[in-house]
Amino acid sequence: MVRIYALYTPCMFHDQQGGIILKWLKVHPDKCVGCGTCMETCSSTWFKENNPALSRIRMTEKGEDDYDLNACNQCGTCIDMCPVGALSRDGNGIVRMNEKKCVGCLMCVGFCPTNSFFYHAARRPEPFKCIACGLCVKKCPVEALEIVTE
Amino acid sequence: MSKEMKLIAEWTYKPSDVVRGYTNQTLFVNVGSRKFAAKPVSEEMKLKFTGGRGFDLKLLWDAVNENTRWNDPENEIVISGGPLCGTTQYPGAGKFYAAFISPLTDQTYDSNSGGHFAPLLKLAGFDALELQGKAEKDVIVFIDGDAGKIQILESPFDDVNAYTITEALHEAFSDGSNDDKRFVSVISAGKAAEKSLWGCLNSSFWDIRRKVARLKQAGRGGGGTILRDKKIAAVVVRSHKLSGDINKAVDVQVLQDRGNKLHREIHDLDAQQCRMRTVGTPHLNEIMNEYHLLPTHNYKFGQHPDIDKIHSNVYEGLFTQGIPDGCWYGCSLACAKAVDNYTIQTGPCKGKVVTVDGPEYETVASLGSNVGVFNPQWTIEANFYADHYGVDTISLGTGFAFVCECYERGYITKEHTGGLDLNFGRADDLMELIHRMAVGKDEFALAVGQGIRKMKRIFADRYGAPYEEMEKFGMEGQGIEVSEYVPKESIAQWGGYFLTLKGPQHDEAWLIFMDRVNKQLPTFEDKAEALHYFPNFRTWFSLVGLCKLPWNDIEPADNATAHRPQDAAKVPEHVQNYVDIFNAVTGRNISKEELVLMSERVYNFQRVFNLRMGKGTRKDHNIPLRALGPVYPDEWLAREEYYDNELKSVGVEPAGLSVEEKIARLQEARLTQWEQLKDAVYKRRGWDRNGIPTVRKLKELGMDFPEVVSVVEKHARPEDQWKD
Amino acid sequence: MPVPRISGRTSRVITVNGEGLDWHEGMTVRDIIRARKFTFPMLAVWIDDSPVSRGAFDTTVVPDGATVQIIHMISGG
Repeated sequence: MVRIYALYTPCMFHDQQGGIILKWLKVHPDKCVGCGTCMETCSSTWFKENNPALSRIRMTEKGEDDYDLNACNQCGTCIDMCPVGALSRDGNGIVRMNEKKCVGCLMCVGFCPTNSFFYHAARRPEPFKCIACGLCVKKCPVEALEIVTE
Repeated sequence: MSKEMKLIAEWTYKPSDVVRGYTNQTLFVNVGSRKFAAKPVSEEMKLKFTGGRGFDLKLLWDAVNENTRWNDPENEIVISGGPLCGTTQYPGAGKFYAAFISPLTDQTYDSNSGGHFAPLLKLAGFDALELQGKAEKDVIVFIDGDAGKIQILESPFDDVNAYTITEALHEAFSDGSNDDKRFVSVISAGKAAEKSLWGCLNSSFWDIRRKVARLKQAGRGGGGTILRDKKIAAVVVRSHKLSGDINKAVDVQVLQDRGNKLHREIHDLDAQQCRMRTVGTPHLNEIMNEYHLLPTHNYKFGQHPDIDKIHSNVYEGLFTQGIPDGCWYGCSLACAKAVDNYTIQTGPCKGKVVTVDGPEYETVASLGSNVGVFNPQWTIEANFYADHYGVDTISLGTGFAFVCECYERGYITKEHTGGLDLNFGRADDLMELIHRMAVGKDEFALAVGQGIRKMKRIFADRYGAPYEEMEKFGMEGQGIEVSEYVPKESIAQWGGYFLTLKGPQHDEAWLIFMDRVNKQLPTFEDKAEALHYFPNFRTWFSLVGLCKLPWNDIEPADNATAHRPQDAAKVPEHVQNYVDIFNAVTGRNISKEELVLMSERVYNFQRVFNLRMGKGTRKDHNIPLRALGPVYPDEWLAREEYYDNELKSVGVEPAGLSVEEKIARLQEARLTQWEQLKDAVYKRRGWDRNGIPTVRKLKELGMDFPEVVSVVEKHARPEDQWKD
Repeated sequence: MPVPRISGRTSRVITVNGEGLDWHEGMTVRDIIRARKFTFPMLAVWIDDSPVSRGAFDTTVVPDGATVQIIHMISGG
C-alpha cells in the first residue's frame, strides 16, 4: 500500500498524480465584454436550458467593464476528494465525472481551489464542471476563451 | 461464497422506498424461531420517537418485559439510523444507534457507530432492524436489499474475529471487485465478546483506495456480547441503490447549500481549528494533558511527563494523509484516520501487515495513559486486537487501569493473575492479558472481562481484596466503565458522567471547560440548566442519524465574535443548519426549540424504561470517590497547592491537617455538593427527588402513554415529590 | 473574585474568567493565553463588551482593569 500524499502543486500543467494535463479551457477575463454568450451556449448545450445557473463557465460582473471568468482548469484536486472514485482524467487529461457513481456529496465543490464546480438541485443532485468541449470558445465574440492543448 | 453457506431460512419481501427520510417499515428477525416480519412505522411513532435511538427504544420496550435479562432470548439488538441517515451532502450523516438491555448495566444501553450499515439498511427498505432470539449454531443474517430477501445462513467461520469475517463477507456478497464491495456493510463482534461483557459491535465500510474493510464501532455497553450470545457471527446488508438523494428529500437545494457551505468552512478552517482531517480526535491528546484531564494511572492524575511520546503530532505522522476518510459519503471532516502497513507483533495475527482503524482519542487515553503505557505502537496494536476480538476499547482500558491499581496496591498478586505483572506501564503483560481475555484462558482473565463492577465483587470474594477501597477507585457508574476524561475538578462533569441515562460516557454532556475553565456555570442552577440543555441537544443527533463532531469540532469563522460566549458554545449557525436540513428532508417545520423537545421526549421515555427494568432511581446514580477528587496522598501531593486551595474554597483551612485528613475533608464537602447537584438537576429535568420523571412532565412532552405512566405510578412515592 | 475598579487609579490587575491576573503595560491577549496556559485551539475572547477575532490575539492590547472572558468552545467527544 503506497503512502498517499495530497500535494497541491500550483503549477497549472501538472496534476496530483504527476500526470500531464493535455487540454483545458483558458480564460482571458481582461478581454471579456460581459455578453454572456458563453454561459448561454454551455447551459443550452449540456442542460437544454438557457440558464446561467446551469452553465459550467461563469461570467460575473465585478465593476464597470470589469468581468470575472471562472471555469475549471483541470487541476485535479477534486479527484482525491471523491469518496466513491467518480472523478478521473480521460485521455486528454480532462477531469471527468462518472455520473452513475456520483452520490452528490459535493465535497468536490466545497474543496475546489477555484470554486469552479457547480450544482443546481432542480436538475440533478450531481454537480457539474467544465470539460473543455470548446463550444463556448467558438461562440465568444472577443476571443476571451481559448482551448489550450499541450 | 454465499452459495457455499447453507441456507437455514429465507424470507422474501418488497423493499419499500424511502420517502422524506423514512421507509416507514422496520425489519424483525428472530434467529431462534426463524421468524421474519416487516412492521409498519406509524405517524405517531415518527412524531414521538423521531427515529434512530428513539425507534430502537420503542421497539425494544415492546419486545422485552421488566424481568428480561441481557441473555434472555427476548432481549434484542435494535439498530436504526434515523430520517437524516444516508444524507450525502451534509458531513456526518451516516450514523446509527444500537440499543439493547446491557450485560454491564442491566438496563437499556444505546451505542453509536459510523460506517455504511444504516444507510444501506435504509436503502434495503428498513428504518430499523430488530434482532431477537438465539440460534443453535452460529449464523449469518443477510439483508439483500437488491433481491428483496432476508436470509439466515449457517456461518462457515471458525474464526469469528472482526477483520477476518468482515473481509470475507465483503468478498462473498459482492462480485469480488474492489468497487462492488462498497455496496456491502457488515456488523460483527469477535471471540472476546463470547468471554467478556465488554463486547462491541463492529460496523464496516469498504475503503476503495486502501482496498480494505474499515471498522467503526458501536463500542460501548456490551452489544457485541449479546450478538455472540445469540450466536450471530455477523449481520450483512447489501444495496446498490445509492444516489445523490437517498432520503428523497423535500428540498435537495437546501441540503446542497448547507452541505457545500460546511465543506467550504472545513476546507478553510479545519487546519487552524481541530485538525480533524489530518489527526482526527487525537488532536485532544496534549490539550487534555495541559488541562489535567488526560486520565493517567486510573484517573489518579490528569497529566504525565511522557505526553510528548503520544502528542498529536506523533499520531499525525502515523496516519496516512490525503485519503477521504469519512465514515459515510460526504463527510469532509474525514476524521476516520487509520494506520497503514502496521506489522502485528503479538498474538494470533503476529507478522500480518494490517490497516488499523484509529486510534481515536479515547483509545489513546484508555489503552495508553490510563494504564501507564506511552507507546503509540502498543496502543495501535491494542486497538487492533480490541476491534478484532470485539471488545470496547474504553471499557477495556479503564477496566485494565482498575486492575493495575489493584495490583499496585497488592490486592491481587502474580499468583492470582496467572503470572502476569500488572503494574501500570507493563505493556507486554497487559497485551498478554488482552489475548488471555479473548479466549478466557483462566479464571483471572475471565474475571477481568466481567467489568469493574463485577470485578470488585470477584476480587473481594476470591482474593480477599478490600471491597470498600476498590469502590473508591473503581471508575464505573451504573455498572459501566467511565470514558476518558478526568471529571474530578468539575462539578458539572460529575453530573455529565454520573447523572446520565446509560452510564458515564460523554455522549450526553461534556462540560469541563464551560464549568472550570470558562467559569460559565457558577451556580448549581447554572450547572443544572447545562445538564438539561446539553444532554437533550446532544442526544438529538442519535434520533436522526447524525454525527455530533461536525456540530462543534469545526465552527464558522465568526462564531466566536458574532455571538456572546454562552451562545457561541452552542454554535448557533450549525444548529440552524440542522434545523434546515431536518426540515428539508422531512418536510416538517421544526424550530431550534422543538429540536430539544424532540430529544426530551425520548430522554424521558428512556429514563422510565430504565425504571421499568428495576434501575433508574437516585441510588443508581452512584459516583466513585476518585471521580470527585483525590483518594490517596500521591494524588493530593501531585497538585498540592491546587488542592490546598480547593480545600480553602470549601471553607476548610489546610494548615495543620495531614494529607489524609485533607482528603477526607474535601471528600466530605464534595459529596455534599454532589447531592446538591443531583437535587438541582432532577428538579430541572422535571424528575422527582428520587430521579423519576413526574407524570406532569410526561404529559407535557406528550409521552404519557398508559404503559409508561403505569411504570412511574408503580415506583414514584409521594415523599419524593418537590413541594413547590 | 471580580476586581473593584477605583476611578482615577490604575489597578494593574485584570480579571480573566472572573479571576484576577496581574497586568502590565502592553499586555496582549496572547500574553494572557500564555499565562493561563490555554492551549485549546478554539478560543473566543471578549474584552469588556467587545469580541476579539482570533487573528488579532497577538496584537490586541488589553487595558488595565479590563474584564476579559476567554471561552473554550466545548468540543470534547
